[in-house]
Amino acid sequence: MMDLAIRDLRLHWGRFLATIIGVGLLFTIVLTMNGVYRGNVYEGTALIAHTGPDLWAVERDRGGPFNEQSSMPEFFRYSVAAVPGVAQASPFIYYPVERQIKGESRRFSVIGYEIFGGMGGPRQLTQGRPIQQAHYEMVAHEKLGVKLGDKIPLGLHTFTVVGLTRETVATDGEPLVYLSLADAQEFLFQRDNQAVRNQRERQRQSLMSKARMTPAEADKLLPWLQPDTHTINAILVKLAPGADPVQVARHIRDWLYFSVYTTEEEVELVLKGRLARMSAQLLFFRVLLLVVSLVIISLVIYTFTMEKIRSIAVMKLIGAPNLVIIRMILEQSLFMTVTSFLLGLAIITSIIDLFPRKILLLPSDTWFTFAMALIGGILASVLGIWQVLRTPPAMALGGH
Amino acid sequence: MAILEIADLTKIFGSGHLEVRALEQVTLAVHPGELVALMGPSGSGKTTLLLCVSLILEPTSGTVILDGETIFHNGWTGGDVRRLRREKIGFVFQTANLIPFLTARENILFPLSLVGQSGAAAEARVSELLEYMEVSERANAYPALLSGGEQQRVAIARALANRPKLILADEPTASLDTTRGKRVMDMLKRVARENQTAVITVTHDARMIEGFDHIFHLKDGRLESTT
Repeated sequence: MMDLAIRDLRLHWGRFLATIIGVGLLFTIVLTMNGVYRGNVYEGTALIAHTGPDLWAVERDRGGPFNEQSSMPEFFRYSVAAVPGVAQASPFIYYPVERQIKGESRRFSVIGYEIFGGMGGPRQLTQGRPIQQAHYEMVAHEKLGVKLGDKIPLGLHTFTVVGLTRETVATDGEPLVYLSLADAQEFLFQRDNQAVRNQRERQRQSLMSKARMTPAEADKLLPWLQPDTHTINAILVKLAPGADPVQVARHIRDWLYFSVYTTEEEVELVLKGRLARMSAQLLFFRVLLLVVSLVIISLVIYTFTMEKIRSIAVMKLIGAPNLVIIRMILEQSLFMTVTSFLLGLAIITSIIDLFPRKILLLPSDTWFTFAMALIGGILASVLGIWQVLRTPPAMALGGH
Repeated sequence: MAILEIADLTKIFGSGHLEVRALEQVTLAVHPGELVALMGPSGSGKTTLLLCVSLILEPTSGTVILDGETIFHNGWTGGDVRRLRREKIGFVFQTANLIPFLTARENILFPLSLVGQSGAAAEARVSELLEYMEVSERANAYPALLSGGEQQRVAIARALANRPKLILADEPTASLDTTRGKRVMDMLKRVARENQTAVITVTHDARMIEGFDHIFHLKDGRLESTT
């Protein structure tokens, strides 16, 4: 049987090409939104998954350290380490900041971790080495735009970039900067000298006026009132072999008055909290785009069919079975859907690295979108096929 | 034996006070190789008769027998009408109605492919028809690049592709000037004489039907006279 679809495409290739490019660009956006959605979830949870302790101990009734602020004295790490079933307890700091990097204001998150055997540090470096000195060394994500050996002033000190990483970013998609725990505490919690002097003077005045102390007595007390920089956001717990995480968590919760989450629970907190609405928004948007693409293909096929309506009447009059004409419509619809999809996939694959944030194309999402497009392509041709079936062959004869 | 027999054919549209009797007791027979013209003013029932003969429209009553096969008989319809149209009837229209995205050659090949003919035999048949209609040199041109006369000749070649017993021509010269119109009619006459194919033509133009065997005049759905 003669393939009418191919012959129509051969003659009207320009129009088909223009349609394929247009719909292909729409599919690019659909696939991009898939990638943005997955990238958003990936970036929001990758750091948690990569850090991967058995348990996270955070401030009581807080969802921290990623979902909301959590603050606890550093010395509790020893209390947690002493809990039966705990093999290791590491202090952990996570703090989003905005500072000048190489003359530009940049947002990034600082991770402070115990560099000698503690958990929470970078796993894989693309260049350089891990932090080996207790002070003034940093490992940064490549997205921060620094190079090995760069001297970066942060707070009161200047840090040397000794390593670069690319594996994870902060939960908000911004780059990470790893510092030793002490450096991170100093950078995040220690104020400059003038601020310290101002606060000390305010406290001295307060002690003298409200506590009726003499200046000498106030001066003696002041050093003890200075804010402690030995603060952390969470304690990462590694369980001893065979330890029951539920029991250990309960023990920490009851005796140390912290909230305790497994890594999976911590991921859930982020997914249900900060990421939930954004994810729902993106999900809705990509469904909407898919529907729009299919409506456009449907209208294009319908228009193409309507243009051929007299030819279709002629075909029916000279005895062509409906199947021959339906096949033409269906083949054209599927051809346009499949080539548009492939074009969209080729475009997004070639520009994926140009996006400032992670675009994560999962094969399962791509296959699902392809299947939807295919089903949509078939449904899109229904309008055209319906038109074919109701076209009377008499239309070819005209009136007298 | 007649290739087409129509007996007491009546077609009524609507009912009650909206009833329109488009055809009234029409009887005629067409034999192989005969040239028949259907004439009449607008609204006389020519189209309705053509649609009934084309097996598109079911008559209200009467009988239509095509090549010995009873298709309609007093409200009963038999046979695969689409297959019959495919195998036994060739159509030529007012405008050529060629399929615009097929070349002249492919337009003629299309009805052959519908009856399962392909390959060298089908190609040979197409070449033969192109030659016969004197459009061989335009074989690979799309309809849009053919003149009106060339298009109509390709349309006749398409109508002849499956060696039909009957050709129904619906004002085949309406869109052509007199010279080209006469040439097309000459082609149809040649087809009828050489292939023993019966040709029924609907036309308004009496000049185009010189040499026809029968001319039927329709008025208000009735066959008024036969020349």
